Amino acid sequence: MADLAGPISLTDQIRLVAGLRWRMLINSLRKKNNVLDLIGMGFVALFASILVIGPSFGFYVAGYSLVSAGRLQWLAAPFWGIFIFWQIFPIFAAGFGSGFEFRTLLRFPFSPSAFYLIGLAYGLADFPALASICWLLVMSAGAATADPGVLAIMLVVITLFIVMNVTMERLIGSWLERLLARRRSREIFFGIFILSMFLLQFLGPIQRQYMRGGRSNPAGLAEIARYLAPFPPALAARTIAGTVRHDFVDVAIGLSGLTGFVMLGTALLWQRYAAQYRGEELSETAAPSPVARLKAVRGRLDVEAIASVPTPAGLLPPMISAMVQKEFSYLRRNGFAFFLLVLPPAQILLFTSQFSGRNPIFAGKGFSADFIFPAMMAYTVLVLMGPAYNAFAYEGRGIQTYFMAPVKFSDIFTGKNLVSGGMICFEVVLCGVVLAWRIGLPSISTLVATAFALIFTVTAQLPIANWVSIGFARKLEFGSMRSQRNSGVAVWVLLGAQIVMAGISSLVLFSARWTGNPWLAAEGFAFLAAAALGGYFASLHPLAELAEKKKEALIEALCR
Amino acid sequence: MTDVAIRTEKLTRHFGNLVAVDGMDLQVTAGQFFGFLGPNGAGKSTTIKMLTGLLAPSSGRVEVLGVDFAANPVEVKRQIGVVPEGMGLFDRLTGTDYLRFVGRMYGLDRQTTERRAEELLEFMQLADRPKTMIVDYSHGMQKKLALAAAVIHGPRVLFLDEPFEGVDALAAGALKSLLGRMTERGVTIFLTSHVMEIVERLCSHVAIINKGRLVAQGSLQELRAGVPGDEGGKVTLEQIFLSIVGQHGGQRGVEPQVDELSWLT
Repeated sequence: MADLAGPISLTDQIRLVAGLRWRMLINSLRKKNNVLDLIGMGFVALFASILVIGPSFGFYVAGYSLVSAGRLQWLAAPFWGIFIFWQIFPIFAAGFGSGFEFRTLLRFPFSPSAFYLIGLAYGLADFPALASICWLLVMSAGAATADPGVLAIMLVVITLFIVMNVTMERLIGSWLERLLARRRSREIFFGIFILSMFLLQFLGPIQRQYMRGGRSNPAGLAEIARYLAPFPPALAARTIAGTVRHDFVDVAIGLSGLTGFVMLGTALLWQRYAAQYRGEELSETAAPSPVARLKAVRGRLDVEAIASVPTPAGLLPPMISAMVQKEFSYLRRNGFAFFLLVLPPAQILLFTSQFSGRNPIFAGKGFSADFIFPAMMAYTVLVLMGPAYNAFAYEGRGIQTYFMAPVKFSDIFTGKNLVSGGMICFEVVLCGVVLAWRIGLPSISTLVATAFALIFTVTAQLPIANWVSIGFARKLEFGSMRSQRNSGVAVWVLLGAQIVMAGISSLVLFSARWTGNPWLAAEGFAFLAAAALGGYFASLHPLAELAEKKKEALIEALCR
Repeated sequence: MTDVAIRTEKLTRHFGNLVAVDGMDLQVTAGQFFGFLGPNGAGKSTTIKMLTGLLAPSSGRVEVLGVDFAANPVEVKRQIGVVPEGMGLFDRLTGTDYLRFVGRMYGLDRQTTERRAEELLEFMQLADRPKTMIVDYSHGMQKKLALAAAVIHGPRVLFLDEPFEGVDALAAGALKSLLGRMTERGVTIFLTSHVMEIVERLCSHVAIINKGRLVAQGSLQELRAGVPGDEGGKVTLEQIFLSIVGQHGGQRGVEPQVDELSWLT
């Protein structure tokens, strides 16, 4: 009989899991291509530090000033800030995660309690948790500086607050995991999430529209605070305030409320983790196909040689036409791409409500259509060109088909670019209609110049985008929020290309203004558009050769 | 028309310092059902990728049906069908969408593509799920679809990398019979599999690769003849494989040293 290993302590298990995550991070940096990502991560770390250190001053000041001014109930405000950040940020940050699935640990012999505690330990090691704990400590330090007597209760309260938050965050994560396990619900959720984030942008204009003067209303805030009183941030503030005022009823209510949240969260999280521990199956698998229908088709399945097949005729060559059809099928089934189609007109609606009409900020001096029309169109192109810089992102293993089929890669590019160009055309027209409705059409010379400028900027960027798509492809998955980002190089090149295009366009526009000839811009952009079109067609063959050279890296990047 | 379907000359592929395929000279006659065997990491997939244009050789030459692959890749690809290692499917298409796409990419007209796609989906028992996307297919269903896509244009040479992995017995039987009929009509099939019984049953000729080098090639009878102690052709392909790979230095002989794992037994 085989030897069996003895039990391993919980601490050792946590240490092993932490070591595993660290090793995965180090290994992910070993690839040469990831050096640029490492630089990107350096920037992210820098921004993250600023994100933590900057608000730390604010939390210190808040703790100090609210305690020294005796407005202890208002400590609820910073607690609310931390609470919202801790619960919401992980959903946003999912895209930057390492992709480690916590539940994969279930194959190891953990006890349910070890599994639960490791889950909590994971939650405490995440960035939002670390940042929030830092802010809570700094806030406590500020409060203790103002009144050293509050330190003890602050420490008790923030301990409970931390346990409650980490439990809630893991609970929400676990519910989301269950919800998102099914592909369709995942995609719907992703669409709703993005859309709701975008719709939040409309709150400002709506508020300005309907709350005349925009002054804060203390009575209204107090009313809102009353509704928020049963929630953890308010309970935390109530406990501290009660301690300072020696109001032990408030302390008891605050502490028991916080403890209640911790217990409720713990019970629910335990239930979820217990389900996972028992082997909850979340994925969807197609039911096996009925086997009864293995028909006589066998007899007529035709294996004739291709030589007998007539060459088809049509508007487009069959390969390009197949590419266009395939791209449209993908577009139809990609919620994110669909969202991208809604975004530009909606954003134009938002911007025009900010910069024109009855907007309080710019009242009486809204921008003219001659300015805002081309600016909005340029912005539309900026938004819509992004996906072209990672054109193969959603192909996955299908990329191999392009290299196995008897097709020139230039046809693949042409098909993809035709769809991108068509989509941009459609969006530009849609945005133009929205702009015409909101602010009116610009002068005819500006309209023509804008049209040529759009042809120029899109066509000139396509070869660059194709080059980046081959050289720095990054696999993306539909409806997934984890690790969904383009390569750092693609982002920088996109930004650089847009800056160059903006620079050239500015030169043309400046020349037109300087000479006082409104049609000069149209002529200049027409010339540039023609040159860009020539450049685009000239680039197809070299890019196809490059794709052939880079096929191994491309296949490897997309077939992971 | 040439008699040789696949020919390689000094085919070599390096990955940094690792020589995955080392000067391989391979010849497959047209109409053969050819099995390509080797232990894990021997260079099978690298070879099949080079033969199908998914990987560029570091040096050497590949010729398919007398056409130099490097000089005329499009012409060669038109004549071959491939089920690659990762199957190469587009997850967000339905089975019908994918076959339509592949058919058109191979230059078939719309009507022929439609007809063949319908027949193939019926044959592969995938026709009852017209709206199911490939991402929602089981592994076996994906494999069957990849096979359907590989034959939709009626290739003259078919490369199959582990084609029966995950395919149920009923469909596998039908597929084997289809492949057998294709070879009868002159189609060459180049197959890799780790299941020796499949290769032994289907293939007339076999090549064995080990550590990037071709260590044996020939008909099953020829390979059997090279194994000492074969009486009346009773030696199985597995025994031939173990014998040949062992001679050429598999890891410390081919069989793992079970004695070293005494704590398990």
